[in-house]
Parts: sequence; structure tokens; C-alpha cells
Amino acid sequence: MKELVFYFQVHQPRRIRPYRMSEIGRSHNYFWDDKNREIMQRVAEKCYIPATRLLIDSEIHASFSLSGIFLEQALEYAPDVVDVFREYFRSGLGEIMSETYYHSLSSIWSGDEFRSQVQEHRELVKRLFGIEPVTFRNTELIYSDAIANVVKGMGFRNIVTEGTDQIIEAHSPNYVYNSTSGMRLLLRNYRMSDDIAFRFSNASWSEFPLFADKYARWVSESPGDVINVFMDYETFGEHQWRETGIFKFMERLPVELGRRSVSTSTVANAAKNNTIRGTVSVKQPVSWADTDRNLNAWLGNEMQTEAFEALKGLYWHPDKKTWRTLQTSDHIYYMSVRNFADQDVHSYFNPYQSPYLAFIYYMAILEDFARSGRAL
Amino acid sequence: MKIAVIGWELPPAFSGGLGVHTINLFGRLAGKIFIDIYVPRMRRLGSSYPFRVIPVEIDRGIQGTPYDIEGFPDFRAAVDDYNLKVLEKFSPDGVALVHCHDWITFEAGCMIKEKYGIPLVVTFHSTERDRSGNFNPQQSIMEIEKKGAMAADRIIAVSKFTKDEVVRDYGIDPEKITVIHNGVDTEHYTRLPREYGLLNRVLYLGRVTTQKGPRFFVESAHLVHQMVPDARFTIAGTGDQIQNIMALSRELGMEGYVEFTGFVNFRRSVEIYRTSDVFVLPAISEPFGMTVIESMILGTPAIISKTTGVGEALKNVLRTDYWDTQLMAEYIISVLKFGSLRKIMGTMGQREASGFTWDKAALETLGVYLSL
Repeated sequence: MKELVFYFQVHQPRRIRPYRMSEIGRSHNYFWDDKNREIMQRVAEKCYIPATRLLIDSEIHASFSLSGIFLEQALEYAPDVVDVFREYFRSGLGEIMSETYYHSLSSIWSGDEFRSQVQEHRELVKRLFGIEPVTFRNTELIYSDAIANVVKGMGFRNIVTEGTDQIIEAHSPNYVYNSTSGMRLLLRNYRMSDDIAFRFSNASWSEFPLFADKYARWVSESPGDVINVFMDYETFGEHQWRETGIFKFMERLPVELGRRSVSTSTVANAAKNNTIRGTVSVKQPVSWADTDRNLNAWLGNEMQTEAFEALKGLYWHPDKKTWRTLQTSDHIYYMSVRNFADQDVHSYFNPYQSPYLAFIYYMAILEDFARSGRAL
Repeated sequence: MKIAVIGWELPPAFSGGLGVHTINLFGRLAGKIFIDIYVPRMRRLGSSYPFRVIPVEIDRGIQGTPYDIEGFPDFRAAVDDYNLKVLEKFSPDGVALVHCHDWITFEAGCMIKEKYGIPLVVTFHSTERDRSGNFNPQQSIMEIEKKGAMAADRIIAVSKFTKDEVVRDYGIDPEKITVIHNGVDTEHYTRLPREYGLLNRVLYLGRVTTQKGPRFFVESAHLVHQMVPDARFTIAGTGDQIQNIMALSRELGMEGYVEFTGFVNFRRSVEIYRTSDVFVLPAISEPFGMTVIESMILGTPAIISKTTGVGEALKNVLRTDYWDTQLMAEYIISVLKFGSLRKIMGTMGQREASGFTWDKAALETLGVYLSL
């Protein structure tokens, strides 16, 4: 039986506030609490709560990554969100995946730092949901053979990444593979994913409007065992507003899939249920970000590399919690000046509306943070 | 299509902003439509233009003779006389519309419209409020601006900033106003990539008038100096505030750190832009801000006031309130401090500024004509 595998990324950074150079040495409050609260509460109401409720009511299976930085803010600003997720996971429909607590880039520069952030996330998930994840997903699906080896060493069975053009040339994203590490590997089907995440409400798209029966037909007619539809969870109700009909679409989808003998599934179940069709090797890191599908969204310009180097250089700081919260990849993502197609995506998410301000605030904060550490 | 343009400056007789605009815009439109351009009969007018030039003799307020004008010792008298003389000399045959530029030509446009019923387009390159730096604008000029705006069938503003002023100050229907940004004459600039090694030089370039906010530059420089003692500041250009600005920099103990170059020609300005780390324009009220585009196209990052019109169309600049000298200083320090910020702002800015072309402005202007 063919499986539609949903995986949803749920993450909200602790955005830094517009921090003034004149505050260096005076204020150590770096985070934009008002803004973070406002966004968390808005998205909770528009997306997290109604979308999860819909998954429960419509009995849709899905895997989730909930970053630690997301969960701690949810507990602080919108605890109902944690409750509805708990209800969903208790229902047996969903899988929780593991990742770095801080949604960081640690996997690309420090095995030790990476492992301790994954461990911290594991402990949080265990405490909040009583679950020990078996599937790993790295920040924004950043993946390489080397990263997979480290992940395998932490005891995980499955991992996911982007089905980039280069990978899918030889390996259809619609099968389960082995990674060179020996873990099961699922590849995101970006076309089927973006049909929902990006094109759903695009009136100039030739397939607009997209209804559940049509999408279910595409799934059933696709060759292969699994259709891996991975996206930001905020697609539901936040990127695609309720008015676009996205909730109605999801409500109807299991019925239309069922008629065509397709079931929804989690990454762990799909990996277990299907035959492995070979081994995929990925030497250079890939990700699901931007059109380049590599690390350029974070390390694509000199401001980003300068900021990243400065951040890494603070490993000695006694205040690990703050240092790690500053590692959240979004801080550096906001400094991107990628080509104009991606620029729109970046500025949609950029709370400062300017990559230069993102850099200036961040560097001022790092300077204050470094000074305060030396004083301890 | 044939149009009549009521102009004032035309290089080489003048090379102020209005003249540069006239020759670039109508030079490009000349291939598509017939154009008559009316201008005062200046001594140094050229002999060959891509459009038809109709020189207009003026009797009053001038230096020299009506057939060989050297200057305008009584500017206002010359303007009033010019507008009357344009009406006298105007030949309406086949003219589909009249296009006037700034208050100095509005009255002629209004009179022609009244007499011949020819539709009127007016361009606001600036408003009296801008030119006075919000300080004591001349009522009689504001009345002419209002009259021209009311009479016009279509209005072109050089920025949304200017459009909003025209709507607010003169009660004009925003639907009637189209924003068309100026172009930059890209072929005159070397667009070779520049180096971003630290030069420790901060630049103000432009007229030294209240409107452009040079005093905020000096106040910011003073704050930067306290944090970055090696930084040097250049004030390139001159104007009616130059003595006051020099005095202010002395008062703040900035002598020796601020260099005053006096008037700079085009060649020299290119050199100055390219040997500065950052360009600052703290204008109180700047309808467009061509210097911002010049700086960017040469790869030099720009920090500008929120009241600089061109900023509305730019992503790769830093913007502050003109009076917020503390924030302006922080931005300057950041640009001096981080080579990566200079480089990315500079290279991205260069690309962005190259998109401001006269071809684009000409096509959009044609669009306004065709909408009549």
C-alpha cells in the first residue's frame, strides 16, 4: 500500500531585538520578548492549535520536529500548544523526531556541540511527551554522509533530507534508501511538497485551485512506495491563510487518499514498512533551504561567515544557554542577501526587514556577550 | 505624437539637476515622439540636440541681452517674464500635451492650457517645502506649485515622498500622480568592483544647505570620533550654510578631522566617492537624492535619512531619522568596523543602483503621456 509521509517542521527562533551599540556593556537582554510572544501567540491561534486539532480529528499520520527553542517558548507564551501536541502524540498518529535543541548549525562545525544539543532536545522531548525518538532530522534538513555518521552514532534508526535535483537524478525520492551510515533515509519530494507549501493559493498556477481529490490522484499515480511531503508546519493557516481553503483541503485529503488505497504515514513507519532500494551517498552538505539547496542560505556571504566565526569563537563562554540560543540558525539566515527570488522568502521571515540590520544587531550582541563573559 | 516641454536649464548652458534630467529624459524620448523644448536663450546653449529647441528671449531680471543671456541677477523677475514670453512664442500646432518642470515653468503651462485647451503634465522634481528645508517656505511659490498641480491633467513626482507632499500640501488627488524615479547615467561611471579595505573616511557630498542636513553630519561625525579616533570626515560641496558648518565643526573640536573640499566637479566627485568607506546623506527633506545613487553605483555604501525620497526604492542602504545623530553614528561605526558589511552593502548596492536607468524613466513617462 502506498504511503503519503507527512513531516512538518515546527520552529520559532528567539529573535534578537534591535540591539543598539550604545547598549554594549549596559544591557544583557538580547531577545525580543514582545515580538516573540506576539508571533508565538498569533501562530498558535492561526496554525498550531487548529492544524493539530485537525490532524487528530481527521486521523492523519505525520512526523514532527519541534525544536527545543520552539517548545520552551510555547511553554512560556502559549502552553495550549504543548497540550494539543501531547494529545496528538498520545493518539498514536504522530511521530516526534529528534534534532538539535537550538535549531543550530552545530552539525557542520562541532561533533561535540552537536551531540550535546541533540541530547538536550532528547531530554526535553522525554520530559514533555515521554517519547524517545528514533528518527532524526537536522536543522532545515542539512545533511551529508559525515553528519549521518554522527547521528547514527547517537543511536537513531532513520533520517530525512532534501531530494535535491542531483540526488534524485539517480534515486527517485519515492523509495526508502539506506544512508551510507546504515540508517534508513527518506528524501523529500520537493515538487509534491511545494504544491501545498508554496503553490496552493497561487492563482496563476496552472493547477490552481488544488483540491484534495486531484492531489490524492497525483499521489496515487506517482510511481514508487512513498511520497515524502515535508514542509514548515506554519504552511497551515500562517503561510497559507485559512481563507485559501488549506484546512478544508487537509480535512478532505484522508478520504480521497483512502479511496485510492493510499494511507498517511510517519517517517518511522514508512522506513519500517518498505523495501530498501539501495544506498544514497551525499558528500557535500545539502539542505532544503532556498533554491540552492545547500548551506548558502546561512553561509552565503561574508557578513554571515564573519558572524558565524565570531559566534563559534565564544565557545569558552560560561553562559552556555545564551550562547546556544544565539546559535539558532535563523539569526544568520536573516543576514542573507540571496538572489531576488529567495530575497522575498528571506525578507518575509526577516523581522528587521534588512540583512544589514540583522548583522549589526547580532554583532553588537556578540560583543556585549563576549565582554560579559570575560568579566565573569 | 508631438509634445511641448517647458524647460529652464539645458546643458551645456546649465548643468544643474533639472538640465541633466531634461537632456537625459527627452534625449531618449526623442526617438519615439516629436518634442519641442522651450528654454531661455542662454549664451552657452548647444547647437545640436536630438529634439527641437526653441530659445525664448527674456527682458527682465537678466544679465546680458535677451539674445545672449548670461545669468539671472533677479531670478524671480526673470522667471515671471519667461513664462509670459513662452506663452507669446508658443506654437500649438499638433501639440498633444505640454510638459512643465517645477514651479519655474508651471505658469506658462497653465496659461497655455487655458488659451489653447492643451492637456498639461507637470513634474515635481522638488517642492518649495523641500528646498526651504521645511523652514520658511515662500508662500508665493507654494501658490504657483498648487496652481500648477491643480491645473495639471497628470502629475509626475520623482518619489513617493514627493508625491505624498503634493497630496498633503496641495490637496491633490493621489490618483493623478505617478511616481517615476530618476535614472542615472550609468555609462559615465566606472562600475568596476572597488576594494573594501578600511580607509577610515566618511563622506558628505552635496550642496551645503539646510535642506541637506550637513549639521547632522557634523554632529554624527563628532560622536563617531569619540569611538573611532582614526576616522576622518570629508564635506565635499559648498552652499549657503558652509560658514555655519565650518563654525560648528570648530565648536565641536573637530578641526583637523573634517576636511572641506569646496565645490567638486564630476571627475573629482567620482574619486572622492571611491576613496570613502561610507556616504552619508542626512537630508531633512530630499525629494530624490541623486547622490545616493551615484555613491551606490560606485560601490560605496550609503547611510541616508528616512526623508530622502530615493530610499523608498532601495533595499541596500541604512536609514535613520535625519535628527537621530546617535543612530547615524552607530551605523557609521558599524560600517567602519566590519569589512564584510562594507563589501556586501557596497556590491549589492552597486547592482541595485544600476537598475535606475533613464530608459526606464523614459518609458514610464511615455506611459503617462499615453494615459491622457
